[in-house]
Amino acid sequence: MLYILEDAINGILMGSIYGLAALGLTLIFGVLKVINFAHGSLLMVSMYVAYWTITLSGLHPYVALVIVVPIMFVFGYFLQDIVIKPIFKAEKNVREPITVIIVTTGVWYILDNLTLLIFGPQYRTLQDNPLRGKMLEIGEFMLSVPKLWGFGAAVLTTLAVYLFLQKTDTGRAIRATSLDREAASLMGINAYKIYNLAFGIGTATAGVAAVTLVPFNNVFPTVGVLFDIKCFIIVVLGGLGSIGGALLGGIIIGLIESIAPQFMAATWAEAIVYGLFLLVLFVKPAGLFGVKNDW
Amino acid sequence: MILKIEGMTMEFGGLRAIDNLSMEIAPGEIMGLIGPNGAGKSTAFNCIAGVYTPTSGRIFFQGENINGKKPWDLCKKGLGRTFQIVKPFASKTVLYNVTVGSFATCKRRSEAEDKALKVLKFLNLDDKKDLLAGNLTIADRKRLEVARALATEPQLLLLDEVMAGLRPSEVDEVVEMIRKIRESGVTILLIEHIMRAIMALSDRVVVIQFGKKIAEGTPDQVANDPNVIKAYLGDDYVVS
Amino acid sequence: MTRKTLERCAPLALLALALALPLAVQSATYMHILIVLLFYAYLTTSWNLVGGFAGVLPLGHSAFLGIGAYTSTILSLQYGISPWLGMIVGGVLAMIVGVLIGLPTFKMRGAYFALATIAFAEGFRVMVENIDKIGPFALNGPRGLQIPPLGFGLGKMLFADKEPYYYIILVMLVVVLMLTAFISRSKLGYYLNAGGEEPEAAMALGINVARAKLIAMAMSSFLTALAGTFYAQLNLYIHPKSVISLDLSFEIAFIALIGGRGSIAGPVLGAMLLRPVSDFSRIYFGDTLPGLHLIIFGVILILVMTFQPRGLQEPLTRLYHWVIDRLSSDRRTA
Repeated sequence: MLYILEDAINGILMGSIYGLAALGLTLIFGVLKVINFAHGSLLMVSMYVAYWTITLSGLHPYVALVIVVPIMFVFGYFLQDIVIKPIFKAEKNVREPITVIIVTTGVWYILDNLTLLIFGPQYRTLQDNPLRGKMLEIGEFMLSVPKLWGFGAAVLTTLAVYLFLQKTDTGRAIRATSLDREAASLMGINAYKIYNLAFGIGTATAGVAAVTLVPFNNVFPTVGVLFDIKCFIIVVLGGLGSIGGALLGGIIIGLIESIAPQFMAATWAEAIVYGLFLLVLFVKPAGLFGVKNDW
Repeated sequence: MILKIEGMTMEFGGLRAIDNLSMEIAPGEIMGLIGPNGAGKSTAFNCIAGVYTPTSGRIFFQGENINGKKPWDLCKKGLGRTFQIVKPFASKTVLYNVTVGSFATCKRRSEAEDKALKVLKFLNLDDKKDLLAGNLTIADRKRLEVARALATEPQLLLLDEVMAGLRPSEVDEVVEMIRKIRESGVTILLIEHIMRAIMALSDRVVVIQFGKKIAEGTPDQVANDPNVIKAYLGDDYVVS
Repeated sequence: MTRKTLERCAPLALLALALALPLAVQSATYMHILIVLLFYAYLTTSWNLVGGFAGVLPLGHSAFLGIGAYTSTILSLQYGISPWLGMIVGGVLAMIVGVLIGLPTFKMRGAYFALATIAFAEGFRVMVENIDKIGPFALNGPRGLQIPPLGFGLGKMLFADKEPYYYIILVMLVVVLMLTAFISRSKLGYYLNAGGEEPEAAMALGINVARAKLIAMAMSSFLTALAGTFYAQLNLYIHPKSVISLDLSFEIAFIALIGGRGSIAGPVLGAMLLRPVSDFSRIYFGDTLPGLHLIIFGVILILVMTFQPRGLQEPLTRLYHWVIDRLSSDRRTA
């Protein structure tokens, strides 16, 4: 029983990091109404940026945040501005432009395979990693320290994004655009600029996730794909476009992944996740918590 | 009565968009539905056309209760509609757009196209049949919207602001077009902001405000109704 | 010749060329490349029925390929049932699955459908990788299934040479193209186009949009599964990653979209233009620059979507009409 409790706690910690990884996806969907299939790749790019920042500078892994997050914000901002915006403009009569979705898959393929070309297929782990294998003992429990920090980062980032959207003028403009693009532009909001911002912020949160992941997760070109599909599942569980839902959805996935292997082969746990996803999609498409946009 | 609405109420999360609305339309009539912005006109349309199911109340179309029926079923029963914000199939030609409508009553493409061409001719759009719908002017898009609905051979046609955004000369053309459609035997329910057109066309007018009916009658009666004047101009202008 | 006769003769000439091609190609390697090209053209054309006409984005079509491949292979290995029959069984199974995915998702935003197809395909692959046996049917988990090259013949859909495979897939492609052409001119085609472009307007015009999409999905998944049987019989070996992969699902969608979704020739053109890119980059750069063809695909995809959202078929169709116009005796003066 104790083992299961320990697994559950570790599952919640890991799950919150999944939620953090998915936060940007749900934010971008909320505003642009487009599933960003390149999200996992952006996480992967963030992980490489974090990896190289830490390796080359020799800084403490978490200090890399101050470099990775701005870089990823700029990357996301201009990815939307240069690559995705023109397609939005070309299809502005279409309510739900499929071409935009497909272009993000194009970005996914380019980023993943370019990384493969440049850095090769090998797995990379941080050398001189002060956090490697570090455990915190609380009574009978052993908890991973980097995952604890990840949990903290996930909660704080989610809260920060939520407050930013609620309390700042820019946040309000983003919300207005997400609710009704046309009405927002009538009020003088430049929707495309808001899209850039949302994409930038979404990518920056992937940067936060990457920094918390790098100390204990290998870095390799297809690492994004693993997270990509998890992120899709998380945002649907939590409700597409729901900020808080991403965190909760992530924790659910984390719990399944940590507890289910006690009772079955680990690969079956993966199948259960897909099954749950399809079930929610079919039975309660607004997400488990029934909130579509909580901001 | 071709359409009979009894005590229709529509609520969105506690907000009452339509409040106990009752009205009737006789076959061959042109009925105007007017009211200030946000009065619930389009919501009423969407309830009749099956987009929303009213929270309570009943709607009868040709004697049949149509509550909860889907838009496509209603279309096949003879209830056509247009949208306030036109929704052409922009990447397709005008003829293609109208043919989609005429498929509602036939299976073969040649037949559907023939019917579509007749409708286009009837509305004087036949010279534009090969243009892409996305390239039409606003006025022509509005006419295409009507043509498409007409191609489904409706008995009752709901027209949602088909004159909004048009120049005065174009409005006159549309007024003529609507008269012609009525003469061909189609009953019409019309939402419109352009009073001149409503007054010229309608046999009777229903006025709603905050989802409630505040007046009903001939255009003249309604125009002189103090409630209506108050609704449109505000309390200050009421001379009692 | 008049314009009309020319327009009628051009596809026939193309077909004659395709029929005669094996006479000119001696190398088995090139023959295989041609077969794979036609195989992709078939897959993308089948995808196009739902992805192109219905205006949705299915991204898990390899699951149907897998269902087809596994069904007919298991039936023929374990019960000696002809792959031709197994093909139909697989098609029907895939059709049922396709309808089950579409049933709840076609009523929602398109994003949900795209996600559902991906999740189903991935979940299905994970399952097949984990299952050695379902009841009496041996799936062999990650090791896959091998078809022993014994007893060649049409009935067993097993041949020593490549030519028969070429003609089988060519016939399949021609049939699915004719079906596509027929549908695009039929009521269903109009309804799919309308529902894909403006669902609300389509509904008001008497169209049950979700039902039209379901019909398209059923046809598309059925046809895709048939190709699965063909794949198994051609390669004599299937395993979960080869027939049910995200990469394959995406490649199908990419090729169809670059070629031009919703048009008849688009997906075939896409396969003709892009398959060689991927084959040659794999042959020449496979070792030094792995994944190069996917980068090229990605770049082409973004460029085409930005500048030619209706796909490469649009300018090519214009060129084709211009050529026909030049050649015909009753030239238009416009």
